[in-house]
Amino acid sequence: MSDIIRRDPRKAWIARNRLHPEHASVLAELGMGDAQPAQWMGPNGVMRKDPHRVGFIGPAGIKRIDRSGVQGAPGQVQARSTAAQDTRTAVLIAEPAFHIVVVPDMAGGRLSAHDRDLLGLARQMADKNASAQGAVVAIVFGELKEDSWGEAGIDRLLHLSDAALEGYSPEYRIAILSAAERELKPRYWLFPDSSLGGGDLGRRLSVRIGERAATQVWQVDLESETPRCTGRGAAGRKDITRDLPRVLLALAECGEPVSDTRHEAQAIQLQQPLPEQLVRIEDLGAVAVDPASVALSEAEFILSGGNGVRDWDGFHQAARVLGATEGASRVAVDDGFMARDRQVGATGTWVTARVYMAVGISGAIQHLQGIQSCDKVIAINMDPGCDMIKRADLAVIGDSGEILSELVKRVDGLKQENRDVA
Amino acid sequence: MLNIILPVLIFAALALAVVGAVRRISLWRQGRPSPVSLLAGLAAMPRRYLVDLHHVVGRDSYISNTHVATAGGFVAAAVLAILVHGLQLESRILAWALLAATTSMFVGALFVAKRRVNPPSRLSKGPWMRLPKSLMAFSLAFFLITLPAAGILPHGFGGWVLALLLVALVVWGLGEMFFGMTWGGPMKHAFAGALHLAWHRRAERFGGGRSTGLKPLNLDDPNATLGVEKPADFTWNQLLGFDACVQCGRCEAVCPAFAAGQPLNPKKLIQDMVVGLAGGSDAHYAGSPYPGKPVGEHQGDAHSPIVAREGKALVDAETLWSCTTCRACVEECPMMIEHVDAIVDMRRFLTLERGETPNKGAEVIDNLIATDNPGGFAPTARMNWAADLNLPVLAEVKRTDVLLWLGDGAFDMRNQRTLRAFVKVLRAAGINFAVLGNEERDSGDVARRLGDEATFQSLARRNIATLAKYSFRSIVTCDPHSFHVLKNEYGELGGEYVVHHHTTFIGKLHEDKKLNLRGWKGGKVTYHDPCYLGRYNGEYEAPRAVLRALGIEVAEMERSGFRSRCCGGGGGAPITDIPGKQRIPDMRMEDIRETGAELVAVGCPQCTAMLEGVVEPRPEIRDIAELVADALIEQADAVDATAKKPQVEEALA
Amino acid sequence: MLLSTPRSSADKTAIKVAVLLSVGSHPLTGRGRRAEQDARALEMALALPQADAQLIHAGRLNDESEPALRSYLGMGPQQMTLIQQPKQADVLPALEKHLRQLGPKLILCGSRAEAGEGSGLLPYLLAEKLGWPLISGLAAIESVDGSSATVLQALPRGQRRRLRVKLPALLTIDSAAPVARQSAFGPARRGQLAEVDAPVQMDTEQEGWEVQPARKRPKRLKIIKATSARDRFKAAAAKSEGSGGQVLKDITAAEGADAVLKLLMEEGVLRVSS
Ligand SMILES: Cc1cc2nc3c(=O)[nH]c(=O)nc-3n(C[C@H](O)[C@H](O)[C@H](O)COP(=O)(O)OP(=O)(O)OC[C@H]3O[C@@H](n4cnc5c(N)ncnc54)[C@H](O)[C@@H]3O)c2cc1C
Ligand code: SF4
Ligand code: SF4
Repeated sequence: MSDIIRRDPRKAWIARNRLHPEHASVLAELGMGDAQPAQWMGPNGVMRKDPHRVGFIGPAGIKRIDRSGVQGAPGQVQARSTAAQDTRTAVLIAEPAFHIVVVPDMAGGRLSAHDRDLLGLARQMADKNASAQGAVVAIVFGELKEDSWGEAGIDRLLHLSDAALEGYSPEYRIAILSAAERELKPRYWLFPDSSLGGGDLGRRLSVRIGERAATQVWQVDLESETPRCTGRGAAGRKDITRDLPRVLLALAECGEPVSDTRHEAQAIQLQQPLPEQLVRIEDLGAVAVDPASVALSEAEFILSGGNGVRDWDGFHQAARVLGATEGASRVAVDDGFMARDRQVGATGTWVTARVYMAVGISGAIQHLQGIQSCDKVIAINMDPGCDMIKRADLAVIGDSGEILSELVKRVDGLKQENRDVA
Repeated sequence: MLNIILPVLIFAALALAVVGAVRRISLWRQGRPSPVSLLAGLAAMPRRYLVDLHHVVGRDSYISNTHVATAGGFVAAAVLAILVHGLQLESRILAWALLAATTSMFVGALFVAKRRVNPPSRLSKGPWMRLPKSLMAFSLAFFLITLPAAGILPHGFGGWVLALLLVALVVWGLGEMFFGMTWGGPMKHAFAGALHLAWHRRAERFGGGRSTGLKPLNLDDPNATLGVEKPADFTWNQLLGFDACVQCGRCEAVCPAFAAGQPLNPKKLIQDMVVGLAGGSDAHYAGSPYPGKPVGEHQGDAHSPIVAREGKALVDAETLWSCTTCRACVEECPMMIEHVDAIVDMRRFLTLERGETPNKGAEVIDNLIATDNPGGFAPTARMNWAADLNLPVLAEVKRTDVLLWLGDGAFDMRNQRTLRAFVKVLRAAGINFAVLGNEERDSGDVARRLGDEATFQSLARRNIATLAKYSFRSIVTCDPHSFHVLKNEYGELGGEYVVHHHTTFIGKLHEDKKLNLRGWKGGKVTYHDPCYLGRYNGEYEAPRAVLRALGIEVAEMERSGFRSRCCGGGGGAPITDIPGKQRIPDMRMEDIRETGAELVAVGCPQCTAMLEGVVEPRPEIRDIAELVADALIEQADAVDATAKKPQVEEALA
Repeated sequence: MLLSTPRSSADKTAIKVAVLLSVGSHPLTGRGRRAEQDARALEMALALPQADAQLIHAGRLNDESEPALRSYLGMGPQQMTLIQQPKQADVLPALEKHLRQLGPKLILCGSRAEAGEGSGLLPYLLAEKLGWPLISGLAAIESVDGSSATVLQALPRGQRRRLRVKLPALLTIDSAAPVARQSAFGPARRGQLAEVDAPVQMDTEQEGWEVQPARKRPKRLKIIKATSARDRFKAAAAKSEGSGGQVLKDITAAEGADAVLKLLMEEGVLRVSS
């Protein structure tokens, strides 16, 4: 790591935010676990421990120190990530035998899990032949927040940012990728087969360079004589296995993200200037859509209220603060508390949210049908025996009003901290 | 003077009545053809009137007696008046008979008038409020003018003032009773009603018969409009039937959708069809409106669409989609009008021609087409619930005594409990049965009631073809909807089967002493009659007999048996889900609560789902199969235990 | 509103919109049906005022495909052009030829087919061949005039982005677009399938492919980079999470809220940074 200490605002706020899941690890990483760390590297390279700051109070009230180094001070999570980062070996590929270009989605300015899987796959393909290692090139656009390029397995980073690249600019981006095709002559192009980003760009590039892309790829077999890949076809009902083409649009979990090497992520540039662009698609900007009123079928996070909600104002406020889309059981709709288009269930909308939070909903079969394809269900209910609790991944038994208002307090607090940092 | 005027008046009125009749008949003839035997129908009419119609009217003895007096009196009076005053036959006997007839009519009219003093809301007002007065005018006038003929009063009594007064009364009476009967007035019901009875589309209904299956739609002609778009698309005898309505509102009083505040009133619907066949607006309708829809905003004629694509026409689509097809209206209608047929006919057009099945309707139909079940489940998963039961499947065993038809409840976790219970009962009784397993498809009930006759016929034909591959004596099912369709609606497509509902079957098993049942220990129990078992198929007794066999004394609801109130689950109503002020199952749960029952026994997966959808706390809902399965004393256990003993000893030895 | 009748084609101001339609396949039973996204594309064309929707399918007409194709006609249009192509044909040249002749301002189609390769490449290939701009993931067409269209593109979480595109253009529709209207039996049966001949080019590349029913993808194992023996042991002994949720009973509202918040954070659905 470089010697320059850079202040990372995100980490800074995580450090102050005790509720953040990465709180402890960030603290440790920043060496802020406590006023003074519990252990440190002595001048001779020997690990030193402050006996007052390590260990925990055992059941008999006696202090115990766990020599495996796992146990931290009571109530404190071990600073695992520091240790993990230190185990990464740095890899430098100075003279790559070939290039593999990955065009990650960079949703929210960061490498997504899908991007990392893809980079993992690219790494595998690049490192297949140890004697003729290839370099993984990532081409990224616009303003970004990512800073762990190397850890994700990127050898070369081509970062282009200019105003015309913000928003939806597929034609411009394709011009850039075409230029990269000419200059780098990549052996493979890898895109995440996501609905907007890579899925769109990858197909554009594939037709531009006249290479029939393999799409919805979930498995790449590098061991066979000629490398082959398997992707979904016929809307997911078929597997198509074929020789690996030059352009690959792959699904999430197509590869394992890089975890134990760190790469150079050396910045590179295009040599030739880009030809002048004819803009045929103009981005007029985002349309403000209130999260609470997003179509239920498209919502990612739904706060749904039922007959057990007493304080509807509180409920609406919670939805607003959480940025959740509002849903309802039929009883809540029948009783006039919610609009009809908010009903979830057999006779309402079938939802596909990542998180579905059911507040005061008993979990009648007609309701549960509607949330079949939700990822995680949170239930807040007074009755521990109700069917919603059985369906839920996390159930909190208690009064809906109280729990929601506590939740609102916390989230408001987080937002406040966030504003302070910003 | 009266001697001259009266014949003129009477024959003028008769002539006008003929004109009116010709017009009315030509209105009906706008409808599509329908094969009925005109003469045989006319011949059967008096019996249908006296027996079948009065069987229904007789449920309300007040109006039944009133009607006998008034209508009987009128018919006699009319005939005698023509003889005595029209043809001037000099006969004391006839005159006295006429006096008696008019007296009877007058007394009847008094009772009609009494009913009209504070009429229940189901009765229409408007011209119907005038009717008792018209009846009185007619009977009084003819009574008075007959007095001289009977020799009670001298001729010319009262002078010209009274004569003029009497003439005025006679004109009023004749106008209402003769001309109004055919041209259109409250008395139209007599003319149209009589002919409707004669030429009813479902002759099987009369003489104690039952005809509840929907009529198939001919899909052979690709250029024909499917279903009813315009009033003229009904058959002529359906139009005639609408015209017979007396606006008694008995249908309105029992309609669950109306009570729930959904925009449907069967009486208004029939009246709208009358408006449609003659042309005009509903502004003159003087009864309860469709809840939430003011009167006077709709109009139409025989050749314009009933439901507008946009805006308003004769009827709004949601009115048609509110119906649960519970047949309560048909059961109550003294004029034997077939509301459900009409509603489904109009739905057929909306679904098959316009593709406007509301809410989840389109999705359910798509599912039925693509997966053969309304929920869109994999057809190969139909038997998943029974993976541990080792049910014999017909594809393997080829023949069986009893084919257990599972219905789509096989995909529903709640109903699977009922099916398991019934399987347990069948096994305890040692019945040789089998299932179609994954070869079974939805019976087509929902598709048909949503108006999708094409999907119904496709499902039905494929089911019939599957059934034809195997040999079985009878079909038994826990689902009254499948039961009804298999029993009453597959016949016309070539599938004739002996079909039993599981309660009937269990009842027989009990009679045959094949079940050994423990006595009931729980609390008070009531029973909810499913529409498709009760009104559609007349099975009221078997479920009660089974409950009795369990030692349960059913605490009957006020509305039970043929008057049972629908749970709200039929006819695709939960799918189209037209909003009202309250929910039908909530009202039914109120009926249940009123009996003080802790448990309601049901015999239909749909009723179970609807009633269990009522928010707790509420009485428990159990299918009769479950109650029986719980009460089984399984000798098998005892036998098994003894059979196992020697083995254990062997093992020990 | 129903502007589906070809009567509008006589209308000078009508904008010709070609809708590419394929034979879909039900995800559970594989039965032929109108393809979900294609039907939405047709819906969009039918709902567009002043649009003259031209329905186009390139493929074969047989007992299997006919009901599926007719179900598009069941949405109201009276005619569909059927470009005759054998199985395994590369329909691109035929489509290109037909579309060049037809000269629409807009081409609408689904993002990817439900049968066959289903790669979603066809719209891109077509746009490339025609030299037209393409927009994917369309949620709505806001307005169309002679030279450009303003459209909404669907972003995750129900968000939308407004784009303006020069015509002629190709737009692909995915599941955020309005649901297709019901297909009615009567019009489906009466609609015309107008067959036209077209050049045939076989897709030979597919011959080298192995096509099988989709296998279940292996669940990714959590890879534990254990730094100590104790970690490795714990990882090995840990119960796999998932089945059966966590129930928090007898806790304060504050504790409950903490637990909920933690899960929301883990799932990344909470946006605290505004
Ligand atoms: C054909 C049919 C279709 C249907 N379709 C749908 C549908 O699409 N969608 C749908 O939702 N329903 C549907 N239903 C209705 C369904 O059966 C249930 O009646 C309904 O879902 C119950 O709603 P609920 O859970 O809000 O109310 P309830 O069942 O009354 O549950 C309220 C819950 O809130 C809890 N509670 C009470 N007070 C508090 C408190 N202070 N804090 C926390 N928890 C509290 C209670 O313990 C209870 O679990 C349908 C029913 C039928 C028959
Ligand atoms: S069938 Fe039932 S719901 Fe339909 S109109 Fe008649 S009474 Fe009403
Ligand atoms: S339809 Fe029948 S029950 Fe209803 S008002 Fe008319 S006559 Fe009476």
